[in-house]
Amino acid sequence: MAEQKVELFARRLDHGVQKAVHNNSAAGTEKRYSVLGTDYSAPDDLRRLAGQIRQHSIEYLDTYLEQAEQSLKRQGAHVHFAVTAEDACRAVSDILQKAGAKKVVKSKSMISEEIHLNDHLGTMGIESVETDLGEYIIQIDGDHPSHIVKPIIHKNRRDIAKSFEREGLGDYNDDPETITRRARVFMRDKYLQADAGITGANFVSAESGRLVLVTNEGNSRFCLAAPKIHIALVGIEKVIPSDADLAVLLNLLGRSATGQQLTVYTEFINGPARTDRPSGPQEMHVIFVDNQRSQILASDCREILRCIRCGACLNVCPVYRQASGHAYRSVYPGPLGAVLSPLLAGKKFKELADLPKASSLCGACNEVCPVDIPIPDLLLKLRNRGHQEHAPSPGTPPMGAFAKLASSPMLWRFAMKSNKVMNLVPLEKLPLPYLQPWLKTRTLPAWRGGEFRSWMKSRNKK
Amino acid sequence: MSTAREQIFSSVRAALAPLPERTPRPVFSKDIAEPKWLAAETDSLALFQKRAEATGTKCFTDMDACAFWLRAQAVRVVYIPAPLTRLVALCSEFCEVTSEYSRTRVNEIDAAFTPSAGAIAESGSIILSDESTPDRLAALAPWHHIALVSRAEIHRTIADAIAAMPADPNLIWVTGPSKTADVEGILIQGVHGPGAQACLIL
Repeated sequence: MAEQKVELFARRLDHGVQKAVHNNSAAGTEKRYSVLGTDYSAPDDLRRLAGQIRQHSIEYLDTYLEQAEQSLKRQGAHVHFAVTAEDACRAVSDILQKAGAKKVVKSKSMISEEIHLNDHLGTMGIESVETDLGEYIIQIDGDHPSHIVKPIIHKNRRDIAKSFEREGLGDYNDDPETITRRARVFMRDKYLQADAGITGANFVSAESGRLVLVTNEGNSRFCLAAPKIHIALVGIEKVIPSDADLAVLLNLLGRSATGQQLTVYTEFINGPARTDRPSGPQEMHVIFVDNQRSQILASDCREILRCIRCGACLNVCPVYRQASGHAYRSVYPGPLGAVLSPLLAGKKFKELADLPKASSLCGACNEVCPVDIPIPDLLLKLRNRGHQEHAPSPGTPPMGAFAKLASSPMLWRFAMKSNKVMNLVPLEKLPLPYLQPWLKTRTLPAWRGGEFRSWMKSRNKK
Repeated sequence: MSTAREQIFSSVRAALAPLPERTPRPVFSKDIAEPKWLAAETDSLALFQKRAEATGTKCFTDMDACAFWLRAQAVRVVYIPAPLTRLVALCSEFCEVTSEYSRTRVNEIDAAFTPSAGAIAESGSIILSDESTPDRLAALAPWHHIALVSRAEIHRTIADAIAAMPADPNLIWVTGPSKTADVEGILIQGVHGPGAQACLIL
C-alpha cells in the first residue's frame, strides 16, 4: 500500500534531528502545562474566552479591519492593502524603492515567509537580513523554518557553527553563547546601516490602532530603533477589537508559546516616531495582506483564522514530534499547518490535501490551543473536501472491484447467490496452517447472501 | 480608494454575509486573566521586585548599590541623561560618564540609565515610552540597561497597565534581559538587547 508523504518523510528523517524535534517539542508542552497550572485554576475557561474573542474578531472583520485602518491613519501611518502574496511583495518593494532604500533588516514574521519576501527583495537588488538568530541561520543556509516559534528546532550547534564559519563570522565554534555573541556583533552594523525595518504583527487593535509585537531577542525593537522606515506586514485576520482584549490574549500567548508569562519584549506601536526624536522610524507603513484569508473566512474552516501562532499545537502533536516541520512541505507545519496550508494554497489545494490526513485525530492540539480552535473537526472537514475534489489519496486501498459489484444490481444478485458455494468448501481441510487452530474450535456461519432480497420480494407480494 | 482595498473588503463582506448569526463580543471583567496567586500580593512594590528578579531583572532601591554593581561589572562608558547629578558623581569615580548618546559610540557605551514610563508588578516588566526614553537605541544597545522606575508608577496588573497606556507612538514592556533559546533550546542572555537588565526604583 502506498504511504502518506508525511510518514515517508518521517521514516527517512535523520535520527538525531528526530530526537531533537521530539525533545524540544515535548519540553515546550511541559513548560506550558506547568505555567498554566501554577497560574490558573481554570485555564480552559480562559482559552474558551480567548477563542470567543478571536471568533468574534474574525466574524466582524469587515467592521474591525476598517476601524483599524482609520485608527492607523489617524496615528500617521500609511495603510496599504494586498490581495495576493505577489501584491504584498510588490507593495514592500515599491515603498522601499520610492524611499531609495537599499538595505533592510527584518524581524521574524510568518507572513513574510508565506509570501517569500526575501526572495523577491533579492531579485529587486535590496539586501534583506533576517535578524532573529534562528531565522538568520535559516537565511544563510537557504533553509526553511521547521517550527513557527523555534525555526531551527531541526538544527544542532555543529550545523550552526559550520554555517557561521562558512559565512565568515569567525572560526568554527559550536558554543551556543559564542554563536549568539557573534550574531550580536554582526547584526549591530546591519541595524545601524539599514534604511528600513520590516516586521510582522501579533495583533492590531482596531480601537487604538496599536500594533503589538512580541519577541525575546529584542531584534524587532532594534528594527524599530535604528532605521527610519518601518514596514509592517499584517494578515487581515490579526485585528482584534480593542486594547482591553490584549489582557486575555497576551497572557495566553507567551504561556502557550514558551511557558513565559510575557515574552521579554512586548511592544505597542502607535504610529511613526516624532520627527524630533533621535531614533525610531519617522515613516510607518502597514500592509494588510489577504492572500486567501477572505476565502478561508468564507469557508467552513474559518475558525483557523483565530490562530495566534503560538506553536503549542506543534509541540504537543505526536505526528509533528515524529515527522518534524519540513514533512509538511509548507510554511506552516503541525496541526495548525495541516489545516491552514492547504487552505492558503487556494487553487492548489489538492497538492497539500494529504496534510489533513497526517493526524491521529487525538485532539491534543485542540486541548492546548489558547484560542480553542477545533482543529480535529477542521481536519475532518478538509479530508472530506479532499475526497470531494478527488485529491490523490495514497492511504486508501483500491476499492474499484467492490464498487463495480455494488453498483450493478445484477452482478450483486449473482454474487450473493453464487457465494453459497462457500458453504460446501471444507474450510478445516484448507492448507492454511495459521487459520487451522482457529477453525478447529469454530465454524463459520453458513452463507446466507441474497436472503434479504428474497424476503423483501415475497413481502412486497403480500 | 485603491482597488486592492475594495477587493479585500468586498470579499470579506461576501464571506460574512451568509452567516446566520455572528459570535457576539464576549463580556469579561478586566481581571479575568490575573494569575490565582495575585490576590495574596498586597504590596505592589514588593511584588514587582519579586517578579522582576524572577525574570532576570536586577532591582535596586539604592543608588549606591546600583553604582557598586556597575563598578563590579567593569563598565567603561555609562550614559546618564542630564538631571541625575548624584548618580553622575557616583559613576564618575570608576568610569566615563556621558550625557549624550551618540550613534558613533553605540559599541562603546556599555551601560545606560534611562527613565521609564512605569512598571508592572504582576509580570515584573519595565515600561519604556518615547516620552520617557526618547532614544530607543540607548535603552537597547548597551549591555547594561538600568531603567529608572518611579515607585508611584508601578501598575499592579498587566490589565491595569493596558488600561493606562499613554498616547505614545511607542511603548515597550521589558521583562528581563534579551534572550534566545534558538540553539538547541539552550537559554542565552544578551542576543541583540541588554544582557544585563536592571532597574533603579526611586
